[in-house]
Amino acid sequence: MSEATQARFRARIRYIKHGRLAYLGHLELAHTIERIVRRAQLPYAVTQGFSPHMRVGFTSALPVGTSSDAEYFDVFLTDYVAAPEALARLVAAAPEDLAPQELRYIDLRTPALTAEITRTVYRVDLSCARLRITAAQLEGALRVIASEGSIPYVRSGKAKTLDLVSTLVGFEVSRHTEAGPCTIVLDTRISNDGALRPEILIAALDRALTPDVEFEGPIVSTGIQELHAFSRYSVTRTAQYVEDADGSLLSPLRAGETTSAPISVSSVPSL
Amino acid sequence: MRMPYESRFAEIEPLLARVEKPSRYIDHEWGTLTNAEADYRVCLIYPDVYEVGLPNQGIAILYSVLNKQEGISCERGYVPWVDMADLMREAGVPLLSLEGAAPVASFDAVGLHIPHEMAVTNLLETLDLAGIPLLSADRGEDDPIVLAGGPSVYNPEPYAPFIDAILIGEGEEHLPEVCQAHRRLRDAGAPRAEILRALADIPGTYVPSLYDIVVGEGAGAHGHAVPRDGAPAVVHKRVVADFGATDPVPQSIVPYAQLVHDRLSIEVLRGCARGCRFCQAGMTYRPVRERTSDQIVSAVVAGLERTGYDEVSLTSLSTTDHSCCTAVLDRLNRRLEDTGIRVSIPSQRLDSFGIDMAARVAGEKKGGLTFAPEAGSQRLRDIINKNVTEDDLERATRAAFEAGWRRCKLYFMMGLPGETDEDIVAIAELADRTYELAREVVPKGQRGGISVSVSCSVFIPKASTPFQWCGQTPDEEVKRRQQLLIHSVRNRAVRVHYHDADTSLLEAVLSRGGRDIAPVILGAWRRGARFDAWTEQFDLARWEEAAAEAGIDLRAVAGTPYGLDEPLPWNHISSGVSKGYLAREYRRALDGITTPDCSRTSCTGCGVCPTLHVDNILAGDRK
Repeated sequence: MSEATQARFRARIRYIKHGRLAYLGHLELAHTIERIVRRAQLPYAVTQGFSPHMRVGFTSALPVGTSSDAEYFDVFLTDYVAAPEALARLVAAAPEDLAPQELRYIDLRTPALTAEITRTVYRVDLSCARLRITAAQLEGALRVIASEGSIPYVRSGKAKTLDLVSTLVGFEVSRHTEAGPCTIVLDTRISNDGALRPEILIAALDRALTPDVEFEGPIVSTGIQELHAFSRYSVTRTAQYVEDADGSLLSPLRAGETTSAPISVSSVPSL
Repeated sequence: MRMPYESRFAEIEPLLARVEKPSRYIDHEWGTLTNAEADYRVCLIYPDVYEVGLPNQGIAILYSVLNKQEGISCERGYVPWVDMADLMREAGVPLLSLEGAAPVASFDAVGLHIPHEMAVTNLLETLDLAGIPLLSADRGEDDPIVLAGGPSVYNPEPYAPFIDAILIGEGEEHLPEVCQAHRRLRDAGAPRAEILRALADIPGTYVPSLYDIVVGEGAGAHGHAVPRDGAPAVVHKRVVADFGATDPVPQSIVPYAQLVHDRLSIEVLRGCARGCRFCQAGMTYRPVRERTSDQIVSAVVAGLERTGYDEVSLTSLSTTDHSCCTAVLDRLNRRLEDTGIRVSIPSQRLDSFGIDMAARVAGEKKGGLTFAPEAGSQRLRDIINKNVTEDDLERATRAAFEAGWRRCKLYFMMGLPGETDEDIVAIAELADRTYELAREVVPKGQRGGISVSVSCSVFIPKASTPFQWCGQTPDEEVKRRQQLLIHSVRNRAVRVHYHDADTSLLEAVLSRGGRDIAPVILGAWRRGARFDAWTEQFDLARWEEAAAEAGIDLRAVAGTPYGLDEPLPWNHISSGVSKGYLAREYRRALDGITTPDCSRTSCTGCGVCPTLHVDNILAGDRK
């Protein structure tokens, strides 16, 4: 391995995925991030082998159409660039709707993002359609679904089950104005058994709220659901956390920090 | 009233959830340009889906050039895939530009790119989705001026009635002139007919409505065009004399979607003078103009910094012919070491020099190499002026296998003028010999990785080439020869692919017919033909029904040769290569006499340089 390509530093970046760019697929997003790093002229490290490529790591895939306030990527660097400067260069090289927000150097041996992150918070905004649905009704329906423990659905022609017992930690329904959209905050857990796909839960909720509509067969995972009870819905990943041994939630940006200062857990969701 | 220029993204956003690849429609890519101050808007449209159209270098050049013009703003458009097109029709949303998500019909001018003949139904699909009348004759004062240009304009007659003005040749100087002239006339309140008449005075601009088609005895099988109102008798193509002075990095947009060619492209030279007699680009992009190696290297570095791509392609019709190819590749390799950025060159020259160059860009990873002998026998290669000998071929393939390549694809054409069954058998023999050579050169343990394949397309006679008078070999005969080829290959390991004879038949009709083919195109589109370049979307039955309705025999249009003295439907369009030269080359072909490359020897008299006042410009001596 030549000196020039060796990874000596590892930066972790939080960025957003907003607006129209929520429609990017995971691979499209990954390629775009790599291009942003190259445009920022950061001294990125390159893998060895027949087809050398940038050493970079991402969080788990967001479904097409889902926005995020809290996506992360890791990039390995061969040289140190002060964090504020590296961040500024990334921001200048990124489309506004994918703007990097924070950058920190983390230990080279920190586990990969997908291995570390086990807790994810989603916000679902629902605009009600023909039905007058109160926040209390929504909450009641969700409670019934959660108590059933699982939702059967079909994905790519295969029968699957969304296990709510292991993936749904908690939820909160709110509505700011009487006629305004409802907001559901979902606190979810990712395990080896899988993650919670918000679209499946929303589809189940839609069925529970429209008993008069006849649905054929089980829920089908399509990425973006066509609903009856709601005219529009949008899903945003609002936070991702590393879960400590004692159950406290750490920001991925702080997880690997080898600082002597105590790590403050500042943003535990109020669930 | 013209449709207002305003964003209608909110109307297509609900549809995005229901289509494949929504990233085709969202815009907001890195590097998009528009000119906010502009009062004149033009929308350039590639007649296929986003990921096919975006890499197009011609549009990238024009997009960059137009957005630098005072008062002009240029946006892009593509054809929505069938799922999205159907949803848009259902929802009553017209075709929108990408940058402003504004109706295409709200622009002052719409520029349609013509990449190949099979795109013609998508021109109609584009106009229909946009809500612009399909025929130039039916358009009113509020409709945009519909322009067209691109590689496939040397016989524009089949689609001429759909277009207001066709730009022949290179557009980077021409299109801004046309747009500025239109802008001035528009501001002066000139009516549409007057605007079109004035555009015909700009060199290189063909306005079909100013030409009558003469048919009948002695007028040629598909008629020929006669100008009215002082329009030029012959429209000569436009050409950029000082190619080195043009922006070497016109590409600015970095897409999100995964494209067919997802990389930075630097056009290192334009034109090719090898003189292959079947090749339209080889005739129509003359003269040869090279960028210097300094310009290429700095363009690559600047382009990569600006775009963030991990691959750069040095594009042209024949990159390894560049006189400084070795130096450029060596400099780029040094410069890009340890960055993971790859350099690629689009095609391999069929000699050991070509392999040397391919080795310089391949690094450790050696995928497949594609060679284009084009014909199986030396006799037929001499007819088509593919100046490659049996020895060249053997040396090139041997060098490739020795250098570590294991996969080799050989590209041929079938149905070439003068082709006999022996020439078909010779393709099989060449493939077999290549396979045996590979087994001889490749070490024993690695022979399992050897792959030799043959890809055989059907020759289509094209306008502005020495073979423009030839008819296409009948589709039934093509099918017989395809079977002959398959049965002549001895080694089972050699795979043979061939092109669909139905598609080739139609491509020949669209290449050789006159304005009489326009009703057939309309009829086929009305029967659902669109995306005809996509094999799974193409259906010859629609075309046969439309042809029957219009009283046209597709096979006669494709297969009947033109007499050397017969007026051709494209007589009034000239690439600058003289008709006399094309006829001489045709006669030399029949006699099996080859013609050298004027960028390596001396002038062969094609006529481009004196007619268009240009010269070959080389950056060094060619090897």
